Amino acid sequence: MDNKSQVSGGKKQSQWTLRNIILIALIAIFTGIIFWGAGFLYTALTVALTPIGMAPFANDLLMGLWCMAGPLTGFIIRTFGSAFLGEFLGAAVEVFLGGQWGAGAFISGLVQGIGSELGFALTGYKRYDWLGLNASIFTTVVITFAWDMIKNGYNKFGLPLLLALFITRYISTFIFGGVLTKMIVKLLDRSKAINL
Amino acid sequence: MNPGMKLLLVMIIALEISFTQSLTVNIILIGVSLIYILLQRVHMKALFGLLFWPLFPALGLFVSQWLYGSAGIHFAWILFTRIYAYVFLGATFTLTSSITDLSLTLEQDFRLPAKFAYGVLAAFNLMPKITEEIRIIKTSALMRGQALHFWSPKLYFKSILSSIQWSQNLAEAMTSHGFVEDQARTHYKVIRITAMDWILFVGLLVIVQALLYFLRY
Amino acid sequence: MTDVSINHFTFHYPESDVKVLNDINLTFKSHHFSLLSGPSGSGKSTLLYFIAGLYPRFIGIDATGSIKFGDTDIKDIPRSKVSQSVAMMFQNPNQQFAMDTVIHEMTFVLENLRLEPATMDDIITRALDFCGIKQLRGRVINTLSGGEKQRVALACIVAMDPQVIVLDEPFASIDPDSRADLIDKLKILQEKHGKTIILADHDLTSYRDLIDEFYYLDPDSHHISLLDDEQAEHFFKNFESTQTINKQVPIPSGDANAIIHLSDFKLAPHGTDLLTLGNFHFYKQKTTLITGANGIGKSTLFNALTKLLPYDGTITFDGKDIKKIRPLPYAKNVTLLFQDAENQFLNITVKEEIDLSLTNRTNTDYTQEDVDDMLKQLDMDGKDDRIVYSLSEGQKKKLQIIEMLIMNPPVLLMDEPFKGLDYRSLETVVGFLNRAKSQFYQTQIVISHQLSGLDELVDYHATFKDQNLAYQEVIK
Ligand SMILES: Nc1ncnc2c1ncn2[C@@H]1O[C@H](COP(=O)(O)OP(=O)(O)OP(=O)(O)O)[C@@H](O)[C@H]1O
Ligand SMILES: Nc1ncnc2c1ncn2[C@@H]1O[C@H](COP(=O)(O)OP(=O)(O)OP(=O)(O)O)[C@@H](O)[C@H]1O
Ligand SMILES: [Mg+2]
Ligand SMILES: [Mg+2]
Repeated sequence: MDNKSQVSGGKKQSQWTLRNIILIALIAIFTGIIFWGAGFLYTALTVALTPIGMAPFANDLLMGLWCMAGPLTGFIIRTFGSAFLGEFLGAAVEVFLGGQWGAGAFISGLVQGIGSELGFALTGYKRYDWLGLNASIFTTVVITFAWDMIKNGYNKFGLPLLLALFITRYISTFIFGGVLTKMIVKLLDRSKAINL
Repeated sequence: MNPGMKLLLVMIIALEISFTQSLTVNIILIGVSLIYILLQRVHMKALFGLLFWPLFPALGLFVSQWLYGSAGIHFAWILFTRIYAYVFLGATFTLTSSITDLSLTLEQDFRLPAKFAYGVLAAFNLMPKITEEIRIIKTSALMRGQALHFWSPKLYFKSILSSIQWSQNLAEAMTSHGFVEDQARTHYKVIRITAMDWILFVGLLVIVQALLYFLRY
Repeated sequence: MTDVSINHFTFHYPESDVKVLNDINLTFKSHHFSLLSGPSGSGKSTLLYFIAGLYPRFIGIDATGSIKFGDTDIKDIPRSKVSQSVAMMFQNPNQQFAMDTVIHEMTFVLENLRLEPATMDDIITRALDFCGIKQLRGRVINTLSGGEKQRVALACIVAMDPQVIVLDEPFASIDPDSRADLIDKLKILQEKHGKTIILADHDLTSYRDLIDEFYYLDPDSHHISLLDDEQAEHFFKNFESTQTINKQVPIPSGDANAIIHLSDFKLAPHGTDLLTLGNFHFYKQKTTLITGANGIGKSTLFNALTKLLPYDGTITFDGKDIKKIRPLPYAKNVTLLFQDAENQFLNITVKEEIDLSLTNRTNTDYTQEDVDDMLKQLDMDGKDDRIVYSLSEGQKKKLQIIEMLIMNPPVLLMDEPFKGLDYRSLETVVGFLNRAKSQFYQTQIVISHQLSGLDELVDYHATFKDQNLAYQEVIK
């Protein structure tokens, strides 16, 4: 339960120890499987929204959920690349569980991973607080949205719809990637399970 | 084909069709992937899943683009087939390659440090136990009168506590089994990228480029 | 000759105020079979992890003093060479393999040692053969039983061929046959192959005529002493006396007063049949003790009763099919005290944990005074702000029992609830359970290997044997 292991040596020591790599992968798989259990929600939302042509909202409403592994691993292993790896592996889990995205999940994982990593990078891997988290949320939303403009044809929608989708996504990412992540990290912090 | 090369190829093609807009190429990719999958003898149930589940997002995108998009029904069809192209491309990899072989080739041929290859692999091999653990976490919470859902911080908190403990156990066990980070290892099963792999990789990529260039519809 | 000598070895966890290991001096002799015993939490694992070279690397806190293999300090052995000197087998069979199948894991191990690929097949075949598991060669590790996994773990160590083999309660989760068999193999490794065996265990079954040395870690002085024959004999006798009690209990029958009923029941969640029952009742406001060998399926039965695992047939609770009862109400009626206390915790501090139970309980039978009193009786008072995850195993257990008593469910299932409790705490807990039964009409079903001290509690006794569960007249 103690996390000082390996890390405590010199300050220069790399965080990329075998244990931390396994830890990132495990957190990604746990979250991946939890979301997968919520997959029915996406399908149900899509079914409900398709007749009125609003199905993309299902995607944007749940976007935050799919982008949670990144901020979590980024916060727990505070080093370059951990958010990216966590997010990417989280998406890869869905592929192997036979999610409905196929190779698309690999690509989304890449894009979302870059999105959440960028935020931590912008703050120089120094701000593990609201600012760092919000930076990560911001970059995640912008990058994934830009990606959906291309991949899911959002660029062909009119401005009002586009704006509505963007705001939906921002709120979702803020709630799941931000508020929920913050609450989890706070619990971890208080439990002293990990030296934050 | 070498699983690493296959994964790379699948990802490159998936990336490309995200940027290009050719209905014909999407359909060709779906067809070719389907034939490849069928040749590898997969279960009918898996195949049915591949056809059924993507229907929801594909149809959702189709209808919204059709109703609100500025690019017409043709573009809606592109989005529809794109989803299926992703799924079938992905399946050519997931249904026919093992993660173990993928790790081996990533370590041996793609120069990925062994600690990444085996660390991630070890975690993936625990997947059934992880599903079980999530069920235990939820049930024991019920017994204390709390239902945990995917939005409950405590579900993630408990999961991460388990992850911390398990990662420690696994890393210790691997170390005790002689694994030393950043040290050369021998290889019982040598996986090479053969000339054939290169020919297939480059050949298929070129063909896809040509198709994308000539079949603009 | 590579004796393992421990010199002036002192270690303390920064979070705790005592030194778990205080100036330890001893030598585990080469080619000997040494048993290290001591109560739970006394520091056995801590010492073994240091001997195996896993600590301080994986814990980040160093100890003072030294551990030497022959003349070489373990810290001077290059990391790539450590596994030629020492390998460790762990208690938990579940998180000790990196690969998917047995053969892949064994190959992985030999690759780590940088052996020539051409030699590997031979070594693996011989190691599997030695451990009697040739047939498991191609099996997926996740589908093996605990005992089989531990045999695979031993096969890996045999293939690695280290000088010293360290084992930390390696048999805790496996059946007696596997246990006896594995101990035999260890003896052969020691006698025929000249290995040094250092094994920690607090279950003393079947070591009596086999070990060369018996070391005891005293939890009060934090010293380890080598016991002479007489002292060792005393420990073995003492241990055996806690394994048996002699009590006559009635055999219940009929369905009057039954609360849980199993019919046409078949339990085979992992493929092999564990239990087949035509008809079986558990009775209201009684304490039923279930005993049976390790690995026979007791915990699995509880998992079926709590809907964690699938089963065939019907289980009814209070006349209703449990499959038709919604999860939350069912969980509040038929509650499991999990074997691992941490599983039950949802909050951070002791007070928050207690408060959660007070908030979510279905009835208010226990008053605040009752709760305070229970905490006090188990020495858990004044720990309000302690982080539950930092409590000792015994303290975690006590807290878990109190919070589940507060929930006061009609049926309480308990899987090894007394593990890690000292005798006085056990008597106190038995008192609490008796009160819950007589005053609050609680039905209790207990799985326990430890029997002494339970005379006052147990009303009925069912043994789990040969895929059958049957009530017995005696407990012993
Ligand atoms: N990471 C840690 N931080 C603080 N205290 C710890 C830590 N790990 C163990 N301890 C404490 O150190 C003591 C010795 O623990 P250890 O696991 O070595 O005991 P043990 O003899 O192996 O017990 P068991 O028989 O239950 O396995 C215990 O009191 C335990 O609570
Ligand atoms: N996931 C699994 N896959 C295959 N077999 C399993 C799995 N989990 C448990 N088993 C096997 O099922 C059997 C029953 O295990 P169970 O834990 O119920 O035994 P138990 O009677 O509670 O033993 P103990 O007294 O050691 O707690 C064991 O042989 C075990 O190895
Ligand atoms: Mg121990
Ligand atoms: Mg059990």
